[in-house]
Amino acid sequence: MEIAWVGLKWYRKIFSDEDVWLNLQATSHFLFWTIFFQGLLGLTLALLLNKKFKGHETLTTFVVLPMMLSPAVVGVFWKYIYQPQAGLFNYFVNAIHNFGEFTMIGDVSLAPWSIIIVDTWMWTPFVMLMCLAGLRSIPDYLYEAAEVDRANKWQQFIHITLPSVLPFLMLAVLLRGIENFKMFDLVNELTGGGPGSITELASIHLKRAAFEKWRTGYSSAFAVVLFVAVLGAGNIYVKFLNKMKEK
Amino acid sequence: MAATLDTTKSPLAPSVTSRRIAAFLIILYATISFIPMVLIVSTAFKSVSDAISYPPKILAEPSLEGFVNLFTQRTRQSAEYLETLPPPKTWYEEIVRKRKMVIAGPSRFFHRFVNSMVIGFGATFFSVFFGTIAAYAFSRFRIPLKDDLLFFVLSTRMFPPIAAAVPIFLMYRKLGLSDSHLGMIMLYTVVNLSLSVWLLKGFIDEIPKEYEEAAMVDGYSRMSAFFKIILPQAATGIAATAIFCLIFAWNEYAFAILLTFREAQTLPPFIPTIIGEGGLDWPAISAATMIFLLPVVVFTIILRKHLLRGITFGAVKR
Repeated sequence: MEIAWVGLKWYRKIFSDEDVWLNLQATSHFLFWTIFFQGLLGLTLALLLNKKFKGHETLTTFVVLPMMLSPAVVGVFWKYIYQPQAGLFNYFVNAIHNFGEFTMIGDVSLAPWSIIIVDTWMWTPFVMLMCLAGLRSIPDYLYEAAEVDRANKWQQFIHITLPSVLPFLMLAVLLRGIENFKMFDLVNELTGGGPGSITELASIHLKRAAFEKWRTGYSSAFAVVLFVAVLGAGNIYVKFLNKMKEK
Repeated sequence: MAATLDTTKSPLAPSVTSRRIAAFLIILYATISFIPMVLIVSTAFKSVSDAISYPPKILAEPSLEGFVNLFTQRTRQSAEYLETLPPPKTWYEEIVRKRKMVIAGPSRFFHRFVNSMVIGFGATFFSVFFGTIAAYAFSRFRIPLKDDLLFFVLSTRMFPPIAAAVPIFLMYRKLGLSDSHLGMIMLYTVVNLSLSVWLLKGFIDEIPKEYEEAAMVDGYSRMSAFFKIILPQAATGIAATAIFCLIFAWNEYAFAILLTFREAQTLPPFIPTIIGEGGLDWPAISAATMIFLLPVVVFTIILRKHLLRGITFGAVKR
């Protein structure tokens, strides 16, 4: 078979394609809110766990469980939880405030949030563990010295706790960012990119183009674009990683 | 130990009240985040009609219908035909008969389960085997472009699996490897290699070089020093790495759904396709999910001290 070279045709097509920009919008929305909630919740939980109350180690193990599970299988099960009638999620939400009947994964405005909730449920423990590692790395004498200098709790938090936890939080956020940028399994099972293409993240778009529309040239070019983007983020991640190791 | 120190008036120790509030909030979060897990187990033991009832039932009359549906294929029969049959011999036949159906044969679940085991353990064995050798080399020898090579190894993990799946799909079709155990084992070995090399390098780095050097002064070859000194010292690390590789291969979905169909299909792409009459069979899916998640839960509890290390590729050691 003779090969017909098309030059940069597919790349031109990708960058001028309006759908691609919509996918990137959906991806950034997903990225921003998952990182926001996971960072906030994870840091809070880590600060709470660091109070070292009785049984905090057992509870940590309990809290951590969701992140090791298979996102695809968890995604299917959350479809059951999100069911408009038999689903527990709608039942609880309506118990708090009665919204009447609504469907999380079928509704255009709610579907993006349905995947954010599940991802936050799965990965908050990871951010929490990272922040906890940061908190545990702070030597006691820093607080003792601050206490001698009459710094109040708030000042201690701003000047000792936060700066020590920040690199760990950053590493966690960076890793979550990379992982969620290429998010596929959870969303593919939970919403499948729908309704329409509201939750069609970059990877889902690629899968649809490659394995449903069989646009091999287009999807290969799109794969390259994705890879370059992730590689850039990955490079920063590894630089960060090596810096953490030196400590 | 911390509990006995409570009474000391150290300015650093959190006050009793703040500790109580913290404990309460954590328990609240743990409870909420645990509801889906409880629901998986409880739905697995519901009957099909209880699983889709409104309002949702958290607890219902226990039933093994989900498990029976998971392991069997059934066909609906007319009442006249059912009357001609001899009475059901086993408890599972009885459950099926109550739904006006007869068992037509075993389902594909067991086959998919075996596939998951074979591919999971196969890929884990090879990635830990090659990973240990590579990690030892990266840890002990001076290798040109070492950092770049390590980054290159890691970049296979950065690659979005779907992006990699397009060329692999085309290659495997040419080579006759698509939908084969060998193909999936090879693929997962390569993807897991990044994890095993980075993790094991960290573990081997922690073993002092002096141990081997002393052994080699005593006349050990490098090979026997590796087997007699490094391997026993790194045993915990190797075990932890193996469990991480196994969990990854066990959970992997993106490659599996695109590259396997019948022969080598693993559980993650299979579970979402379990359908009963009128849509997804939730008790059967929950039963499958429960069986599928149980080993991972056990491994997570075993690994709890190493979890961060595994997920951050050895960057965080606590």
